[in-house]
Amino acid sequence: MNWPVADLDPVRRLRVLAAGLPGAFLAESVLDAPFDRVWAVAADLEHELPLLLRNVRSLRIVQADGENLVADIAGHFFLRDTFDVVLRPGWCVMQSARVVGGMAAVTEGTGTRFAFLGALRVPGTRPAAPVLRKVGQPVGRGLLGRLRDRVA
Amino acid sequence: MPEPDRTELVCAAQRGDAIAMQELLGLLTPYVGRLCGPIALDDGADATQEALIAIFRNLGQLTEPAAVFGWARAIAVREAVRVARRSRRVVPAELADVPAAGDAELSVDIRDVLDRLAPEHRAILVLRDVEGLDEQTVGELLKVPAGTVKSRLFRARRSFRKEWDR
Repeated sequence: MNWPVADLDPVRRLRVLAAGLPGAFLAESVLDAPFDRVWAVAADLEHELPLLLRNVRSLRIVQADGENLVADIAGHFFLRDTFDVVLRPGWCVMQSARVVGGMAAVTEGTGTRFAFLGALRVPGTRPAAPVLRKVGQPVGRGLLGRLRDRVA
Repeated sequence: MPEPDRTELVCAAQRGDAIAMQELLGLLTPYVGRLCGPIALDDGADATQEALIAIFRNLGQLTEPAAVFGWARAIAVREAVRVARRSRRVVPAELADVPAAGDAELSVDIRDVLDRLAPEHRAILVLRDVEGLDEQTVGELLKVPAGTVKSRLFRARRSFRKEWDR
């Protein structure tokens, strides 16, 4: 007997991850470009992330083992952090001691649904969650706008 | 994944480790999708997403990390029934025309049968025939007496055979 099985695409999975992280914000949009073009940009972390995220000055992959990477990210104001990264087609989650980031993409019609997640891992995140979500939204919208321009 | 590793993974996810959370999500998604698919049918993806959101939001309340799949099962079935009822696409009916696990009739497309059932009845079938739970456990999960579970299944399978032999 073939029972129906439900699947969850990467964007839906990122929504789940965002729901499980206190204070996480999630920005989501449909881009008018095919998945391959969108993900080629998003997955090119070293070259593209500093262009997409204003608070990232540089990103360097220092270790790679299949889909598991380690990246050093330098931000502005002398901020520097090491991130564990999981990167595969349509899915990217990165985490340092203080910050979580995520990206997901899935084909939708002739375009691509793309989602971006951000969260802090510092004490006090849970009570400050509503404020953090509000503050994070412009960051997410900014990344989506710049990504839209990059893949146009 | 060996149980000690899985327990460690759940504990890390409970501490808010996002890398562990996404790995746990990868483990739970196919399982939750197998439960939500037959209960929520066309709304299976929505039900799976909502079930997993409930699971990850409440992960801190799981006191036995080794029992994560059993704990997730109860949430998944509850959410799948809720989402299916909300969609109002169903025509509630008694469990009718349903084969027993192992019957020759199982080759019939189960989707046609499930379409005619209420979500609560699909849940009984999934827990009994996909998960292999006994009537007592199914009744506890769905908060109905075990006798009700048994009689519904019995009637359903008898009805199904009548249709099949016609």
